Amino acid sequence: MSSIRVFLVAGILATLTLFNFVAALRGYQSSMDEAELLFDNQLLDFARLVARLDVDDNHSELRLSNNLAFQVWEQGKLLAMSYHAPETPITGLQNGFDYSNFDGYRWRTYTRHETASDRWVIVAERTDLRFVLAENVVLESILPILLSIPLIGLLIWLIVSHGLKPLTALSTELRNKHVNDLGPVRTQNSRRELQQVIQSINGFMARLSQGLEREKRFSADAAHELRTPISALKVQLHNLAGEIDTKSDTWQELENGVERMQHLVEQLLTLYRMNPDKFAENSQETDLYLVCENVIAQQYSLVEARKQQLALEGEHCLINGDAFALETMVSNLIGNASKYTPEEGTLLVTVHQEGDRVILDVEDSGPGIPEAERDRIFDRFYHSEKPQGAGEAPGCGLGLTIVSHVAELHHAHVEVGDSCFATGSKFSISFPALES
Amino acid sequence: MQILLVEDDQPLARGLQQALGQQGYVVNHVGTGEAALHVIEFDRPDVVILDIGLPDIDGITVLEKATAKDKELPVLMLTARDGVDDKVAGLDSGADDYLVKPFEMTELLARLRVLERRISSTKSNDITIGNVCLDTVAQTVTVDGQDIDLARREYMLLKSLMENAGRVQTRSALETRLYTWGEEVSSNAVEVHIHRLRKKLGNEFIRTIRGVGYKINQEANS
Repeated sequence: MSSIRVFLVAGILATLTLFNFVAALRGYQSSMDEAELLFDNQLLDFARLVARLDVDDNHSELRLSNNLAFQVWEQGKLLAMSYHAPETPITGLQNGFDYSNFDGYRWRTYTRHETASDRWVIVAERTDLRFVLAENVVLESILPILLSIPLIGLLIWLIVSHGLKPLTALSTELRNKHVNDLGPVRTQNSRRELQQVIQSINGFMARLSQGLEREKRFSADAAHELRTPISALKVQLHNLAGEIDTKSDTWQELENGVERMQHLVEQLLTLYRMNPDKFAENSQETDLYLVCENVIAQQYSLVEARKQQLALEGEHCLINGDAFALETMVSNLIGNASKYTPEEGTLLVTVHQEGDRVILDVEDSGPGIPEAERDRIFDRFYHSEKPQGAGEAPGCGLGLTIVSHVAELHHAHVEVGDSCFATGSKFSISFPALES
Repeated sequence: MQILLVEDDQPLARGLQQALGQQGYVVNHVGTGEAALHVIEFDRPDVVILDIGLPDIDGITVLEKATAKDKELPVLMLTARDGVDDKVAGLDSGADDYLVKPFEMTELLARLRVLERRISSTKSNDITIGNVCLDTVAQTVTVDGQDIDLARREYMLLKSLMENAGRVQTRSALETRLYTWGEEVSSNAVEVHIHRLRKKLGNEFIRTIRGVGYKINQEANS
């Protein structure tokens, strides 16, 4: 992911360098023009001087600097020349400035016809020296900028960092915000541009938490709305039972239907309530044996109605968990065992510790679960084939889904095996034990 | 026994009125918390069945107001909510018991009988189940009219079980009721007392739910 700071610093630095370069180029161009004019004027003056030379002297020994040369011609005859100059005319005999090559260099030339003496004066100067001068001028002007680029970069870095401080603070606060904290962002003294962002975030947070609150309320409302009419149905059924033949199939169907509806609503609500946030909130040291004791005491009438034997064995074991979720789990396991076990069967619940695990076993003397089905029974809305003699109480196929959900919340493993009885299944839940 | 039913859902209220009427209870029904408080003040019922979700005042507020004036008023809460917090809130405000909707009618009747016994024990002093009769004032127990001798803890244990006849009492719950906090409890204290009670009352009267607790059936020995 690219950083805004790096982008800004690189961008600003590149722009600065580019403009400096363009300015330097422009400076070079104008320096060159200036130099051209200056040197041409000097060449002109030099030509005038040469024209006044006494041509009878031998000037070939005249030690001019390396960059100057001259020739004086009269009617095709070389009258005088400087040390460097060739023996042929440097350039065509024509008034004005021109360029020519000799002695391994490029030269700027100036040719002048002295009408009084009918002589041609040619002067020349090496062009490369002009470039050197112009380059020197430009270099002198851009060198300080070139050298200060690292310093400028550092300054820009500091300024950009300072300017981004409110953004960094905001991002730190957002990063450190707890998943469940939907309160507004508290970062203060922000820049105007960030105020807008913070307002938007806060607005979004508020809408989100309202939405979640509505959802929670909806679940509580739904519970009330659905449970009360189901209660009414059950009470009416109870009243009706005194008036009509309760052995009839229609009656049985009706009773089962109400039972099933109640069961489905309860399980759906339970599944909804078991979200990990709630679990973390309610999790505490819990005695699994006591949980089983309570659930069995509450559910005993159901087991008793089916004339089944139910016993709890084992010892008090502590785990870290949510008592309400665990009660739902044990209740579903026992309810399930009772439902799939024929009347006068036997159920056994065991709680014991094995090393650093606490094991909850729920065993029954029912028909057991075939190997092939054992993986699928935890799927939502899965129904096992109802065995002969099993209870009439219909399930909704969510009971074991809730069991595996609660197990998952408690970091527990669920295993299905054979019971200690001649037939039947065993649900074994292994929890991490609480360190004492 | 006169019951005040506070429930805003009409079909449920009518059904309950009929069902409880069949059991010989006199049921008055109101649909709001305001009306409930009025009735409680001017025509005190023996038992109040109070729904938590009422249209005007929250059921828990009704409970707090009613029990602030009359601490002895037996209240059975009906709640469509659950979760540990709601239950604790209801009980801390002075409710004697609660039932989560949708409840079994038999369960409601059992709870009412427990409350009834509690009221009658302050009025007529005895609880009778089968051939066993327990006098809560004289703290005596008779079997088939014959006085039997019980130690204090045996009596308390029997009273606890008979008051809650029809419901399983867990061993942990019985232990906490028998021994005050900090007293040494041997791990099999409850078993020992139950064993002695059985010698005096017969083996069938108290049922064991192995590993869980004990229970006296509503119609024991029948």
